[in-house]
Amino acid sequence: MVLPVILILVIFRLYPLILGVNFSFTGDKELNGQFVGLDNYVTLLGDARFRASAVNVLVVLLFVPLQVFVAGILATFVFLKVPGHSFFRSVYFLPVVLSPIIIGAIFNIILAANGPLNAALGVINLPGVDWLGLRATALPTVLVVHIWATFGMAFTIFLAGFATLDAELLDAAKIDGANMRQQVVHVIIPSLSQTIQFVFVTTTIGMLTGLFGLLYTMTAGGPGAASYLPEFLIWKLTGEARPALASAASVFLLLIVLVIGLIQIRVLRRATKES
Amino acid sequence: MKRKIAAVAIVGTVALTLTACGGAAPAGTSGGDTKSDKLVVWNWGEADAAATAYYDDITAAFKKVRPDVEVEIVHQPFDQYYTLLGSAVEAGTGPDVALFNGGTQLKSRTDMLVPITSEMADLEDTLAGWPAFQADGETYSAPMFLQGFPIYYNKALFDSAGLDADTPPASWDELTAACSAVLDKTDASCFALGNKEGLGIEFFLSGFGSGIFTPDEYDAWIDGKHDWTSAHAKQVLQLWADSAADGWYNDGANSTAMFNDSFDLFSAGKAAMVIGLMSDTAHWKQFDEFLGADLGFMMPVAVNDGATVALPAEGGIGYGVLNEKKKDLAVDWIKATVDKDALSNYSLAGGQIASDTTVELDTDIAAANDIVAELGGSKPLLHTALDAETLDLLHRLGQQLIGGEVTVDEAAEQLAASEG
Repeated sequence: MVLPVILILVIFRLYPLILGVNFSFTGDKELNGQFVGLDNYVTLLGDARFRASAVNVLVVLLFVPLQVFVAGILATFVFLKVPGHSFFRSVYFLPVVLSPIIIGAIFNIILAANGPLNAALGVINLPGVDWLGLRATALPTVLVVHIWATFGMAFTIFLAGFATLDAELLDAAKIDGANMRQQVVHVIIPSLSQTIQFVFVTTTIGMLTGLFGLLYTMTAGGPGAASYLPEFLIWKLTGEARPALASAASVFLLLIVLVIGLIQIRVLRRATKES
Repeated sequence: MKRKIAAVAIVGTVALTLTACGGAAPAGTSGGDTKSDKLVVWNWGEADAAATAYYDDITAAFKKVRPDVEVEIVHQPFDQYYTLLGSAVEAGTGPDVALFNGGTQLKSRTDMLVPITSEMADLEDTLAGWPAFQADGETYSAPMFLQGFPIYYNKALFDSAGLDADTPPASWDELTAACSAVLDKTDASCFALGNKEGLGIEFFLSGFGSGIFTPDEYDAWIDGKHDWTSAHAKQVLQLWADSAADGWYNDGANSTAMFNDSFDLFSAGKAAMVIGLMSDTAHWKQFDEFLGADLGFMMPVAVNDGATVALPAEGGIGYGVLNEKKKDLAVDWIKATVDKDALSNYSLAGGQIASDTTVELDTDIAAANDIVAELGGSKPLLHTALDAETLDLLHRLGQQLIGGEVTVDEAAEQLAASEG
């Protein structure tokens, strides 16, 4: 019974993975298929777009807690049955079903230099900002749009986690006189430890591997290389007829996701457990 | 945790032992099938009525020679066309023939193209613009239309700014004065600019280059000698940065798509000038629909003494062969794309300057006739003489110069290093 599953995993997961890593040690164009050792990795380190991508990964990581916090706090409100919670539950999930290309197109209009957001800022005498055209704001803006578009999934997972919460434990805490903060810190967070870990890791992976559509439509990696991320670079390199170099960038992305994921699980396991 | 890391290490080790196995790119140039009854054609853009009629014409011309072959035309978006094409070719799923811009875009991809030098020999005297489709003594395509970067202006906005609409600026000082007047006296920007993809600086380089470089420097540049640290090359970068700093361009230029948002700004009268195109899109025909008699054409302005202004123009677009197994079919397709009747009909209907020198443009659009009158003294585009890597860097630096993130000297150094 196990053998078919293993075979499927090996054929469709492990083999392509090994093939990709293998290609990263071969050359491009006239060196296609020839072993070039670590040349591709050295070339990548000298590429401004790659260096920008690597730095931008850290920027992305700064936004992960924001998405988890937004999803968690809104899920808490819905769990506590604030007025209109059924309506909000549907509304929060709605953007998840939209295509990133559509979302990108909509926000291109909203965030344009002469768009409605800057017009609204003008009404309250604040200067307009070229949100997608400035180095300092391009990537953060795309990340905020990404959070708006995808937090519904994390929100839903949190709601599922709340469903497993031991109500008696919460009641006991209330009877013992625990205030809201104490209930959250000492009961809710430890009880949702697994859920929080899962949401953190999936949100991180989602941010590192799911931003392509928004980058493609909103900034095209610019200005300069300010909003390049590894997956966008991988696509660009492939289009430049350098698939081996793209494979090296893919290995870099794989290692980043793997290492960050493992570290997160470790750190969060400690942070969310009741000592 | 340790187990997982060990697993990764094992995968890496196994991969290292396999490094002699195969290459990342398929061995062939294209994944096009070998069935001789179908030709897959890639191009870009939306099929408007004129383009549809043109493709009907050339398909009919092709069918005369190949009645049993089905033609599948796939329209791709232009902004990421070459990345999509490159990805498809690398994946072995590329088309049999694909549309290319002359110059860099074609010349940097000759490794994926099939030379058709002898097949095109009989067309050599009929068409203009071949150099943009030739590399290392081989011909890779036939130019369908000529492409260039004319500067268009809005006469009504010139009037509103108190400028002489019939005498456009001829020097950089006059252009600067004109921009000041437009910015002071109208709500329009001086130039429409879409720089989201970084294309603005290549339009600026080729659009104004002949007024900056001496003829000798210009010719050397076209021949591949690009001295980015020379005074005049740096001046191009400086003028680009200064024009942005002086507020010549629309708000949010770095987040505005060139195709077609920035050209829409010009069509809508929100910018007094724009460096546009001669053919394909953003040209005299399109602008005429919106501006009519208010559409003007001006030559590049003289910036330095000793420079000779010339209309920047060369072979614009043409089809290249990707699938060697279908070379004969593809050559017949390419010959159909330069069918005189098809070119003649599309020139006027679609706003194209045809490569066929025997085609006359019968139009009363003044800007079109002015462009044609300057073709004799035209010079090739400066930016298409750059390799793809340098051009990509130039795009990024163009955005950074506007944003004040790099200095002109830093940009020049990076470009010089890129040229190696």
